[in-house]
Amino acid sequence: MSVYRLPFTVYRKIVVGFLFLSSIFFFLSSPSFAAERFFEVKAKKFSYTPNIIKVNKGDKVSIRLISEDVHHGFFVDGYGVKTSAHPGMEGALSFTADKSGRFSFRCSVTCGSLHPYMIGYLYVSPNNLWVWGVFGVLALGLISWLITSKKKQKDEKLKLFGIIPLEWRFPLTKFKPLRALLKSRWFPFLPIVFNLFIFTIILLAGFIGGLGAGNYNFGVMIVWILWWVLLMMFMVPLIGRFWCMMCPFPLIGDWIQRGKLINVGKQKSWGLGKRWPNKLRNLWPLVILFWVSTWFSGFFTVKPFATFILLGAIILIAIIIALFFEKRTFCLFVCPVSGFQGLYANFSLFGVRSRDPEICKKHVPKTCVVGNEKGYGCPWMELPYEMNRNTYCGLCFECLKTCPYDNMDLVLKPFGQDLFAERRRTDDVYNRRSTDEAYKALTMIGIFLSFFLAFQGPYGHLRDMVTAKTFGLHGYLGYLLESFTIDFLLIPGSLFLFAWLSKLASRSKEVKLKDVFVNFSYCLVPVGIAIWGAFSLGIIFPNGSYLLHIISDPFSWGWNLFGTASIPWTPFFTGLMPYLQVLVTLGGMLFALDFGYKFSQRTYKDIGEAKRGWIPILIYLILIHIFFVRIFVG
Amino acid sequence: MKKNELFAVVLMFLATIGTVIGIFAYEKSRAKGYYTVELTARAPLNGNWYPRKFTVPFGQEVRIRIRNIETVSHGFAMPDFNIEPAINEIKAGEVKEIKFLADKKGTFPFFCTVWCSNEHLHMSGEITVE
Repeated sequence: MSVYRLPFTVYRKIVVGFLFLSSIFFFLSSPSFAAERFFEVKAKKFSYTPNIIKVNKGDKVSIRLISEDVHHGFFVDGYGVKTSAHPGMEGALSFTADKSGRFSFRCSVTCGSLHPYMIGYLYVSPNNLWVWGVFGVLALGLISWLITSKKKQKDEKLKLFGIIPLEWRFPLTKFKPLRALLKSRWFPFLPIVFNLFIFTIILLAGFIGGLGAGNYNFGVMIVWILWWVLLMMFMVPLIGRFWCMMCPFPLIGDWIQRGKLINVGKQKSWGLGKRWPNKLRNLWPLVILFWVSTWFSGFFTVKPFATFILLGAIILIAIIIALFFEKRTFCLFVCPVSGFQGLYANFSLFGVRSRDPEICKKHVPKTCVVGNEKGYGCPWMELPYEMNRNTYCGLCFECLKTCPYDNMDLVLKPFGQDLFAERRRTDDVYNRRSTDEAYKALTMIGIFLSFFLAFQGPYGHLRDMVTAKTFGLHGYLGYLLESFTIDFLLIPGSLFLFAWLSKLASRSKEVKLKDVFVNFSYCLVPVGIAIWGAFSLGIIFPNGSYLLHIISDPFSWGWNLFGTASIPWTPFFTGLMPYLQVLVTLGGMLFALDFGYKFSQRTYKDIGEAKRGWIPILIYLILIHIFFVRIFVG
Repeated sequence: MKKNELFAVVLMFLATIGTVIGIFAYEKSRAKGYYTVELTARAPLNGNWYPRKFTVPFGQEVRIRIRNIETVSHGFAMPDFNIEPAINEIKAGEVKEIKFLADKKGTFPFFCTVWCSNEHLHMSGEITVE
């Protein structure tokens, strides 16, 4: 089968044309004449009118701030200038707009529950970062196309960025202290107890904090600023289910089931020990449960008592599920935050793997599954001896303890390797690499969009909708419908369309559309991780300083444990933030492009089909990344 | 082995019940030596100061803990006494403590000093020293 190849001159034309286009961008970004600009901004809970202010670079901007209800502030990201206005008294602010780009202006005076998310946008044109962001996306797309279009045959060995072979492993238990730690029964019990301590304070603070504003509450701030950001920026992308390892919620359930806290007690669950239904042994319950829990994001991310109810409910449900079902059924199939951690863990750098499959083959009975006196059979109901994907591994390290041959290992591996791993046994109970994981990846993108627009966007009416100010179609019901439409129709629909185009372009007869859809959905794993990381930057930089206050005065009782209680709200790095957000987004795209072509090779049978089928997906990735850059800085 | 298990159980209870007991014990120890009044700040239509009237003993050092349980800022002023430290603003969800020496007998007013709602001017209360 011959493959049509573009002659070299065509490449040259494309590159020259690209450079030409980019020089036009530069002309567009030339400075215009400075002017004096005056704006009267009205502030009310939780929006500004106008919510978008557009000026040119060099303009002298004056702002008169008028409050329509309570004391509001006005802080400009990147410029660091601020003013505030009591009702009936005006605030005034003037500054020279000498930095270009898009800047959020946000409320600087606690004005209510959604105060940290009261935001408007200031555009100082020319918006170079937006132009550069799009340029970066196009450049990455072009490079990817240039590289992939030159391939003459399928890659024999999959290599990350063509450099690191995907099967590369580094066994971390080579380090003896680490091995001793992982084999100790005190690990991960001690980190769990530490988190038990933290979450006890969180629950108490949530209970005491009641319905007040959340930004001075230990529970709300630790969970939704610190924990969420750590989870999305460090734990999940680097270490996978690291949080599951030290999560305190299943501890009581474990204790009840085993009769022992750290020593090895019953292998069989005390309680009913029922088996979770086969049809639900996948990510679908978690896709739905996480989506349902986002319905209430306007409450539990801002109200202390709502955080208390949410966490309390999760703890109770964990105990109840542990009484009725076997082992960690709760973690696997019920915990709302388990789904994305499981899926995204496939991207992470670490994993528990067996060292030598030959040893495992001969080893009967498999102690990592049934347990022995050293530890429990896998609480996550995996088969550790043949595990090759992280989705359902909770990093509890029981298999390292039970293996009599020290054949289980914690390994370092290249990013995203698990996304390519097929499950060796197809008769297994879990449906791996299927539409459930695809929909998890897709809904995470949709939920990101809803969250970003409501909590970091300039749209006050969205915030009213999310917090159920009214219940009708233009209120809460409208938000639920919008969320459903984006998460389950628009975003999956867009991928489906491009998967269909990909199948069409490949001219493949055999391949099933569902396989194309599922395979390429895994491109969205690094994309999702990147945009959630960028989203988290938009939380931690402006609002991280609240943490200093609440660790000193966790219950708002006037405590000053570490002397930091009087530190006022101080946003940091708000000027650098948009640049980092674009970089992180582009980083996600880099992985998505690299993975995408590999998925194309896997989906289609020969190189010609793979190259043709890849083009629509490449276009899809370029389009969605231009969209994301626009969301962050455009 | 049994010792380990016992130790783990103790740790678990320390981390939960122990933490709660520790928090309340520390809070109680801070209240020593003062006559403490808990004052809740809410805009008049949401309940106003609570309690709106209270009595403190004459000659005693008084600590008032003002808890703003609302989502707007409030303030506190009591012009007849020297309050330490002076408060400009009690932000939403915040708690501020003030101290003063109740060295005058009689009934004295206190106010909110931040425009918290349209009814702001009605947000006042009385303290009686006897």
